[in-house]
Amino acid sequence: MIQSVCVRASALQLPSINCHRNAAMTDSFAIDAQNLSYSVVSRQGKLLPILKDCSLQVPSGQFWMLLGPNGCGKSTLLKILAGLLSPDEGFLYVERPRSFVYQNPDHQVVMPTVEADVAFGLGKLNLTPNEIKTRVAKALDAVGMYEYLKKPVHTLSGGQKQRVATAGALAEACKVLLLDELTTFLDETDQIGVIKAMRNSMDTSQGITALWVTHRLEELEFADGAVYMEDGRIIRQGDATSIRKFIEDKLASYVNQINL
Amino acid sequence: MYANFLHNYPTLTPTLSSIHAFTPKNHFTPNLRTEPLFLHLQPKKSRIIINCAANSDGVKGAVNWAEILDKWSPKKFLGADKLFRAISGATSSPIAQYIPAPFTFVHSVDPRVKLAWLFTLVILPAKSNVVIRLSLVAYLAILSILVQPSQVWKDQLGRVTLLSGILFIMLGLSTDSAPSLISSRAPPPSMMGLPSFPASLEGYKYVILKLGPLQLTRKGLSTATTSACLTFTIFQSASVFLSTTTPEQIAFALRWFISPLANLGVPVAEVILTLLLSLRFINLVFDEVRNVALGIVSRRINWQQMTMLEMIDVFFTYIRRIFRNIFVHAEQISQAMIVRGFRGDSTTHKIFLSADSSSGVANYISISCLFGLIALVTLPKYLIQ
Repeated sequence: MIQSVCVRASALQLPSINCHRNAAMTDSFAIDAQNLSYSVVSRQGKLLPILKDCSLQVPSGQFWMLLGPNGCGKSTLLKILAGLLSPDEGFLYVERPRSFVYQNPDHQVVMPTVEADVAFGLGKLNLTPNEIKTRVAKALDAVGMYEYLKKPVHTLSGGQKQRVATAGALAEACKVLLLDELTTFLDETDQIGVIKAMRNSMDTSQGITALWVTHRLEELEFADGAVYMEDGRIIRQGDATSIRKFIEDKLASYVNQINL
Repeated sequence: MYANFLHNYPTLTPTLSSIHAFTPKNHFTPNLRTEPLFLHLQPKKSRIIINCAANSDGVKGAVNWAEILDKWSPKKFLGADKLFRAISGATSSPIAQYIPAPFTFVHSVDPRVKLAWLFTLVILPAKSNVVIRLSLVAYLAILSILVQPSQVWKDQLGRVTLLSGILFIMLGLSTDSAPSLISSRAPPPSMMGLPSFPASLEGYKYVILKLGPLQLTRKGLSTATTSACLTFTIFQSASVFLSTTTPEQIAFALRWFISPLANLGVPVAEVILTLLLSLRFINLVFDEVRNVALGIVSRRINWQQMTMLEMIDVFFTYIRRIFRNIFVHAEQISQAMIVRGFRGDSTTHKIFLSADSSSGVANYISISCLFGLIALVTLPKYLIQ
């Protein structure tokens, strides 16, 4: 399904000029989206724009975050990048293979035991059992869950399930990881645990690019860069500190406005 | 009244919003309420009178159906609040689950051998004599004590023993306790001057025990031990098997056993994938049942003020909600499977079922024990013949 969506997105909607640029950009950017628009038809039959002319670029091998208030279109943008939705307009390039991790780990974890679940994504690759075993062990080790190899999934906590889901994506040896608000359901300890596990696994294995959707500002300190969205538009993108400063300034001005 | 209740509890969410549908029915039509007496004087307009009576609390003489319904509503007997509380506090895995630690001898046996043992233990008690049945029960009890952590086997053995105990007593005493009323056509031997049947030299007695009108006979004992032992072995061996085998190992063993059926056109790979998915899904279902019950409990609904119809409506809302959530879950999982590379063909998408934790020695020992047991049970019959 993903494949076909991508072909549609790239074959039908992309002018040929973009394709040339694509070849030049492949080295530097793992995710390159230009002027993406996406809208849905509401129940009343009105056209409801969700993404308006979004452009973003994520350099390969880096850990980026996508921030913004609730309902600004972060998850939709991520689903488009993952190929789960196809954009109405615009140019899109995402390095392959890519993986998508859901907000709710209960939706992602499909097998009853940790080991089999992490190995589930490898089923299509035709590997030998030994190769699968090493890959699963490596991925679980990267997220710090190796000792849970044989545990039943439903006995794990939310954060542990989330890490298992991430390990499943890592085991596929994908180039791009798209992570949708992994820390929403987690408490502070688990939140930091998951994000540190993510950071570590990025540092140990070369060439993985990750885009992490969040609305928690404190997670920015683990990121290389960030993109700030508001109301379906990308307001700003840059390195983590400058985005953080930008959002904090925005907050401060908002607070001042209320106080006045 | 009900409208009041709704407004007193503003936390009521859209989950229960369908209850609002009830409120208009309970409202008065204004011009009827102003002249209730006038309406009573005109009995021909019976339809309107009923309307009035059902709607007003104060009018006497009219039959208040709502009150009658309320009086006989199940809330007096059941206690919806208690029920929902019990559901929300229940465990999310009522079925025995894999216990990885402590790692025992049984863990290290190949799942296929364990499955063979399981089948044998389920079939054998029906085919063997009392001694072997009872020793199988004792063996299983000891095995579960050795293999499972103490709180697990105490709970499990307690429940299974209680169940088989009840079965034993009920069946043992009831099998022969109601003697047939048909009398034989021939007069009893004493009347014909014949000596009665000599008592058995070996002390054989058909009736073993008499408890007033109840009696325990040989037939009753046989039936009771068979069914009680069968119940015990089925539950207990399944419990030991499940607590020492991961779902993947079970799937692996089953796949090995049913793989010859693939030649007959049985979709083995799909069966195994479905089994695994349902083993994962079953816990989600229990979680969902619990969470929705918790959601209802946490709204602090005043059940005392509700009529029976409203309560039934809440129950139906509950069940509908569970099903909707489960279907959403199923849809999400299927989407996740697609995202993770599953293309709908379970024969090409290989599922990693690790079964390598078995040790050779353990396998040999348990296979030879299994054959020994089968021989012990079956051979005496052939030897006697």
